[in-house]
Amino acid sequence: MKALNRRDFIKNTTAVTAGVATIASGISLTTFAAEPKESEPVTKEKRWGMLIDVNKLTESNIEDMVNACQEENGWGNEVHSRAEQKPNWIKKVKVKDKSTGKIDTLPMMCQHCEQPPCVDVCPTNASMKREDGIVLVDKHLCIGCRYCMMACPYDARSFVHEDLNNQKTHMPRGKGTVESCTLCVHRVDKGGVPACAEVVDSDAVIFGDLYDANSKINQTLKKIQSTQIRADLNLNTGVRYSGI
Amino acid sequence: MYAQQVTFKWDLVSNYTREIMNRLLIVFLALAFSNVFAHVEHHIPNLGAKATEFKDDGKEAHKRPNMSHKDSLIMQRKMHPELLLHKRDRTLRQGVRGGRASLEKCVDCHTSVDKDGEHIPVNAPEQFCSTCHQKVGTSVDCFSCHRTTPAEEM
Ligand code: HEC
Ligand code: HEC
Ligand code: HEC
Repeated sequence: MKALNRRDFIKNTTAVTAGVATIASGISLTTFAAEPKESEPVTKEKRWGMLIDVNKLTESNIEDMVNACQEENGWGNEVHSRAEQKPNWIKKVKVKDKSTGKIDTLPMMCQHCEQPPCVDVCPTNASMKREDGIVLVDKHLCIGCRYCMMACPYDARSFVHEDLNNQKTHMPRGKGTVESCTLCVHRVDKGGVPACAEVVDSDAVIFGDLYDANSKINQTLKKIQSTQIRADLNLNTGVRYSGI
Repeated sequence: MYAQQVTFKWDLVSNYTREIMNRLLIVFLALAFSNVFAHVEHHIPNLGAKATEFKDDGKEAHKRPNMSHKDSLIMQRKMHPELLLHKRDRTLRQGVRGGRASLEKCVDCHTSVDKDGEHIPVNAPEQFCSTCHQKVGTSVDCFSCHRTTPAEEM
């Protein structure tokens, strides 16, 4: 038998390794090319937004919106968290005009800012804005530091304080990470509408592409008076309100 | 004369060690490769209800174009962490949906059903997503967030 010396051995292994590397790169090419029916990445050509007409919403409508969100995304059944620790993806808030004393009740959730402070402060890039304007927590990267919660002017984010199970398939959630309204991204990516918008009158909450001149939201915003909450911060929110 | 003898003895020794090393090398390589082949034929318990059905129907799970089914399975076994992480980032950060690698689908196919017809969490001991991991001492944290059984029927 031919005895291998060390040098030959190294030579042979290199050849083998090179072979494997070539095969492997061929494999990954076919893999990614061959994945069936993947949708395209989202682009800057769209910007998702929501217009909420406060005059068209009763308090019970707003409660319906909150319930629809809980049902859709599976939050609100936390048992070990104290009241102030409980998640609040969307909530009913009362705002009072200091000079007139007029009180408005409105649904409040992540405003999907164009310049989101939560993204600026995140140390791990977990807090992020998709190209189409939806602001999310990439929970895979979230270390639970909660800077984003402090940075958010709308108090829209919450932290999961306890172990969870029986989550919704489309909405993984778990202890130690921050979460907030995702604009029901799992529905939107399939051409759907956020659960809260679906449950109320379609004129009261209009969801759509702010940039699309033919969309109902774009056309309505051109016609009527609307506001961004804390417009003074220049965050250019994706969620707009009218009637306040 | 004395020195020469010593050298001679050293030669003997090194020839002998080299021979042993070569044999060990062959044994090592043989083991390494037999391991690879043994794994191709290995049996995974608790493939899961839908996956078992799928296989029994003669369908080739994880089959990739231009690759034999056997190689596709090796690929799936070796690369599933990378495939999952790739998919994860594309879905969450870029909104790419559909395609083959979704974690939701793995759970759907690979969960088993107990004798009362209830789904067993796919990451419970001895279930599909934990048998191999137990063996190699990997722990996977995905299921603290991701649902471990298929969604309830609507
Ligand atoms: C802290 C919670 C959390 C943990 C832990 C977690 N994920 Fe996720 N994962 C999510 C969220 C939230 C989404 C977004 C779901 C959506 O938008 O549809 C997601 C989406 C995904 C997706 C794309 C959707 C799908 O079903 O294919 C993949 C793949 C994925 N995660 C893989 C993993 C893997 C692999 C691990 C473990 C290494 C993991 N995740 C751990 C929260 C988590
Ligand atoms: C359509 C149902 C189906 C889906 C979805 C599915 N699998 Fe499988 N998987 C199978 C079947 C069937 C086998 C066994 C194939 C065989 O032995 O012929 C298998 C085998 C495997 C194996 C073992 C390969 C081996 O022989 O060593 C791994 C690992 C695996 N699957 C991981 C995954 C992961 C990870 C996902 C999600 C990305 C997934 N599977 C999704 C049906 C499925
Ligand atoms: C055939 C055996 C086998 C099966 C079945 C299997 N895995 Fe794995 N998995 C492995 C091995 C081996 C590793 C470690 C790979 C490494 O460390 O490079 C691993 C690692 C992983 C990792 C990366 C862990 C980390 O943090 O690095 C993820 C995620 C994962 N598996 C998910 C799954 C899921 C989900 C399933 C069930 C659908 C599954 N695996 C079923 C063998 C298996």
